[in-house]
Amino acid sequence: MARHNLGTVVHFEFTRTVKKRRFWIATLAIPILLAIVFGLVFASNSSTKSQADAQKHDKISFTYTDSSALVDPALAKAMGGTVEADPGTAVERVKAGTLNAYFSYPASPAKETVNVYGADQGIFKNGTYDAVAKQLLVLSAQEKVGSAELAAAVQGNFRSDTQTYKDGQLSGGLETVVPPLLFLVLFYVVIILLANQMLASTLEEKENRVTEMILTTLNPTTLVVGKVISLFLVGAVQALVFATPMVAGYVFFRDQMSMPDFDLSHLQFQFWPMLVGALLFVGGFILFTGVLVSIGAVMPTAKDASTVFAPVMIMMFIPFYIVTMVVSDPGNLIVQIFTFFPFTAPITAMLRNGFGSLGGPAAAVVIVELFVFGFAALRLAVHLFRYGSIEYSRKLSLRTAFARKG
Amino acid sequence: MDYAHAHPLIHIEDFRMQFGEKTVIDGLSFDVAPGETFGFLGSNGSGKTTTIRALLGIYRPTSGTLHINGKVFSDDYGARLGYLPEERGLYKKESVLDVMTYFGRLKGLSRQESQQFSRDYLDRVDLADKAEVRVDKLSGGQQQKIQLGVTIMNDPELLILDEPTKGFDPVNRRLLMDIIEDRKKAGATVMMVTHQMEEVERLCDRIVLLKDGRSEAYGTIDEVQNQFGGRTVRLKHSGTVPDSPDYTVTLRETNYSELALDDSVDEAEVLRRLVQAGVVVRGFVAAKRSLDDIFLQVYGEKAAVETGAK
Repeated sequence: MARHNLGTVVHFEFTRTVKKRRFWIATLAIPILLAIVFGLVFASNSSTKSQADAQKHDKISFTYTDSSALVDPALAKAMGGTVEADPGTAVERVKAGTLNAYFSYPASPAKETVNVYGADQGIFKNGTYDAVAKQLLVLSAQEKVGSAELAAAVQGNFRSDTQTYKDGQLSGGLETVVPPLLFLVLFYVVIILLANQMLASTLEEKENRVTEMILTTLNPTTLVVGKVISLFLVGAVQALVFATPMVAGYVFFRDQMSMPDFDLSHLQFQFWPMLVGALLFVGGFILFTGVLVSIGAVMPTAKDASTVFAPVMIMMFIPFYIVTMVVSDPGNLIVQIFTFFPFTAPITAMLRNGFGSLGGPAAAVVIVELFVFGFAALRLAVHLFRYGSIEYSRKLSLRTAFARKG
Repeated sequence: MDYAHAHPLIHIEDFRMQFGEKTVIDGLSFDVAPGETFGFLGSNGSGKTTTIRALLGIYRPTSGTLHINGKVFSDDYGARLGYLPEERGLYKKESVLDVMTYFGRLKGLSRQESQQFSRDYLDRVDLADKAEVRVDKLSGGQQQKIQLGVTIMNDPELLILDEPTKGFDPVNRRLLMDIIEDRKKAGATVMMVTHQMEEVERLCDRIVLLKDGRSEAYGTIDEVQNQFGGRTVRLKHSGTVPDSPDYTVTLRETNYSELALDDSVDEAEVLRRLVQAGVVVRGFVAAKRSLDDIFLQVYGEKAAVETGAK
């Protein structure tokens, strides 16, 4: 019966949420906004990139002087340049509009500035002068080196792959940090999306006066667990809807939107950090769900509940304010306190787990602590729902709730 | 003692309930036999709802035994229970059919059975066209009908109704009475909290009167009437009815009086003494005291007015 009822509660709670128009308006609003932003970025980048490419290959007429002797006259000629015959008046002629552009290459372009003078063509097209002046010097230098490989090496245009070892095992670079931190992102998203619904989930029975009918047909534990599972499913749907445009944008329009080209094949999914990350996520989720449902069970209305809700959320996200310290100085007393204090533990421990500073014993303590406090909070939530929701329009006194003898 | 009373469906013994220092129920005991309709009576604040909530596991008793079918209530029994609480409500933002189906599923019916019952019931109460309408779009009276439907949708063997007619319009009151009659015919046990003494006299086999957390009277209606000096005389007359140790005048109007008789005197003797005292008797009906009278006597006029007893 209990299992049948759990399925019934999950089905009812999940479908009633996803059937609501309001849910889809709220859920789709963010991806639509993202799609609009992506679209604008795409359009802007396409325009900027094509403009930059066009400017680089623009053929303009110019004169130049070259104290460095690096510029190849043949290349300069091909790009529309001629050697300036009268450098002393070149700038004045540009000012007067009788000369289109003049580039003055110093003896040492690495130490001194290349001066570029040109007739105004508007704020965007003026960039052409600078682009052509640089391009002429780069191509001339490459030609002098005489090897594309050497030219690339000189410019640092090569990739490298670093592997470091700790205790004989491959140790972390960014590729080992990112995967466990995905649980932190997931935790953040889930709590942000679902916190209000967690808070309101048990308030509804109270506000609608259905508590007694529910309590006589259904175990309160089944109801609370069913609501938590359905919330999780609703969160998964929302996360999927939010992630879809981002993933699609990255996969299909990465270049057009100038997104960084991550080589995801280098990400290392190490077993222990991933396991610890997953356990911290589940433990943290249970703890915060239990606490928020408990608040909902005690308070008579959503408005009353929201006053207690804010401090809990602040406690949860406060570790982000010391994130630098968490990463650079994990042994610091404040970081240690945040690691083991239940409400700050999930975020702090997940950060430290990602950056490899959460040792095995500390991880075990935090995980056990989160699960113990989490289940205690859920148990408390069930108890308070059983006795709190019957109070209907009054705030439940915790003393009264625990004074009832069995 | 017959089998039914030897094996009660509801058994409450020496039940005590305290909230902090306040004792709400103090040593209450009574049984409800299978198949009977039982009236649970008392003034406001006398502990009726508390007793029902403790019986159904919503409150945990301070001490005592509260059993249904020989066991402490658990949600497993919910599939055989129909409970109409004093505080009523439904999920407001869902459609009527969704809400009824949900409760039907929780009470152990399949989805198909729940939906079939819901549609049949809505048809019976002229709300067939409201199946897909949100509950909060219905009128108060229509919501009451849905609430009743949810209460009985599992054909319960035990129906517990806490002030069932409270806030009901006459149409729904009639519907409720029909439902109670139906369930009685089907052999169900009905326990009802009510202040409507006419309903109690018409429907209930036995009653308990609760006052300040204690049982003031318990038994069949006859037994309770006898316990409270059960005989009364309704008298049409001319002249003044004199006071007498043989009776108490409970109602005195110009040409009509009601007398509660002392146990030691019979009706014929009272009639003879009235005639001797010069009263012209035009009508003389011996009857048992009404539950209204008893309610008034136990709780006082003020409590009777507060509870709406009549």
